Amino acid sequence: MSAVAAEAPARSAVGRLLDTARHAQPLLRALVSIALAFVVTAMLIMIAGKNPLTAYYHLFAGAFGSWDRIIVGLNKTTPYLLCAVGIALCFRGNVINIGAEGQIAIGGLAASAVALFAGGWPAWLVLPLAIVAGAAGGAAWAGVSAAIRVTRGVHEVLVTLLMNFIALLLVAEALHGKMGEEGAGFPQSPLFEKAVWLPKLLSGTDLHSGILFAVVAALAANFLLWRTTLGFRWRLVGASLPAARYAGVSPGKMVFSLMATAGALAGLAGAIECLGVHYRLIEGFSAGFGFNAVAIALMGALNPLYVLPSALFFGFLETGALAMQRQVGVPSSLVLVIQGLTMVFVLCAIGRSGGEKV
Amino acid sequence: MDAAVLADFLAASVRIATPLLLAALGGILSERAGTFAVGLEGQMLVGAFCGVIGTHFMASVGMGLAASAAGGMLLALVVAVATVKFRTEHMVTGLAVNILALGLTSFMLRAMVGGGHAPVIRVATLEVQPVAFLSDLPLVGTLLFRQPPLTYFAFLIIVPMALFLFRTRAGLTLRAVGENPQAAFAAGANPSRVRLAAIVAGGGFAGLAGAVLSLQQVGTFTDGMTSGRGYLALAAIIVGRWMPASTMVACLVFGAAEALSLRVQAFNLPVSSYVIQMLPYLAALAVLAGLGRSARLPAAIGQPFRPG
Repeated sequence: MSAVAAEAPARSAVGRLLDTARHAQPLLRALVSIALAFVVTAMLIMIAGKNPLTAYYHLFAGAFGSWDRIIVGLNKTTPYLLCAVGIALCFRGNVINIGAEGQIAIGGLAASAVALFAGGWPAWLVLPLAIVAGAAGGAAWAGVSAAIRVTRGVHEVLVTLLMNFIALLLVAEALHGKMGEEGAGFPQSPLFEKAVWLPKLLSGTDLHSGILFAVVAALAANFLLWRTTLGFRWRLVGASLPAARYAGVSPGKMVFSLMATAGALAGLAGAIECLGVHYRLIEGFSAGFGFNAVAIALMGALNPLYVLPSALFFGFLETGALAMQRQVGVPSSLVLVIQGLTMVFVLCAIGRSGGEKV
Repeated sequence: MDAAVLADFLAASVRIATPLLLAALGGILSERAGTFAVGLEGQMLVGAFCGVIGTHFMASVGMGLAASAAGGMLLALVVAVATVKFRTEHMVTGLAVNILALGLTSFMLRAMVGGGHAPVIRVATLEVQPVAFLSDLPLVGTLLFRQPPLTYFAFLIIVPMALFLFRTRAGLTLRAVGENPQAAFAAGANPSRVRLAAIVAGGGFAGLAGAVLSLQQVGTFTDGMTSGRGYLALAAIIVGRWMPASTMVACLVFGAAEALSLRVQAFNLPVSSYVIQMLPYLAALAVLAGLGRSARLPAAIGQPFRPG
């Protein structure tokens, strides 16, 4: 490949073709994996005594059937995109961060705390402050994991996993204590004041402005990863530790910056969920987001730009599945089957092709 | 604190530790041979599901137990084929099958049994099997000799497993594959096959761990009923440094912490139950951080084996 790149001017047509092929590979891989997952899942639907074609029709119609459905899908996509972009960066740097779940929870907790307790402050100040608090909370939580990882050498998967449980329990503790709504019967905070709700993107619809944050984050991450020194260092650490050390790049610092970036994005997702969807902190609001985001990042070939369609796919898959459950009685937990299978197939394809990341 | 309260607390600790221990033992097999056992959670869940389904449809507890072990092994086979044959990343593969297991069990429960809705299948829980004479001893009797069958199994299997790992040729080969597959290959072993076998066998243990939850303790299956116990077992393995006996101690400590969190009010503790529920995780983090780099993993864990 490098030889071709060196002679690119001489035979640019061939180089361009190879370039296209290289970019097509992750797309092909994702499409084949999704197709395989849908085929296997079709068999399950048949076992359940339903017609898979009818089920898939309702899945599609439920996802794209009307503007309302599309808006629900876009809202669902938002937290996925934010978390998956962070995870993609981390995986690029060979940091297997699976702590998005906890980072979302802490982000939501921090944003909610600001929204609830900053009463009396002007709303134009509280909303941005809450959003920033969410991102900072997520980054700090990820930073703790990174600190244990870097200073004590404990594998980041274990640290982030354990930190997830602690984060969820912290949210539960807060909701059963100071932040809980009395007499609600469900662990949730009181409703935020309307002034601190995340504004709608289209007035009169449910589409909140979170999707803007997510798309900007994906584009910014893409620029950071491919066009800046920091991004190059992240990729260098991921490609070869000895090479990184030789070039004077500190792997520890890279782990920190990667985790903090991913944590901030996940925390932002948590803040947006609380401020834009629920308008309060609810127990379990982060359930499943973090792990699904790993699947989305992988399907997006760990490339922030490709993560965008990947997150859209998962977001719409979920809205569609709910409609499918209503219309034909196929349980919506089928989505998890499709996600799990897609992940396994993508992993197998990556492993088969020699484990290289792109 | 009087004796009855203490006995109840200890019994609860053992009860909570049992599924952790069985899963952790399975995980030790897989990790000693060089594959991270992140899929324990999913294997437990499938085991819990198959146990209830098997017992319900074949009207036999024996078949239920066999089904739970088989279910765990089947999911482990997916992990094994992916990680060994396709050389996938271990951690993420485990995560993927956990998501798959969560979806599959929930879907199958509704689709096959409930006609689209979540049915409640009740099965009789495994009965306590008191050991003659010994079970009449005060305190120790109820704690050690008045337990349901899978609890005996979990705590007794530790001895043969330790003997297998450290005193037999097959156990040596298994560990060698986890430490240095190239050397094991040169010595005539087949690292790929050893890893496949170790992962699948470990899945059997994890499946039975799920049966402890569904058949021995609850008597039904609910979505995601393992709720992170597989991950806790994973931490117990590391805290126990891949040794069956010390892993058992780790599981008991985790069990005691959770038992304590359920007794906050009875014991008049000054903190909430959520803070106490954090204890097992905080303890695991503290131990891992304390061990630091001296928590020596099997040297070739997470690395794919390429013959030649």
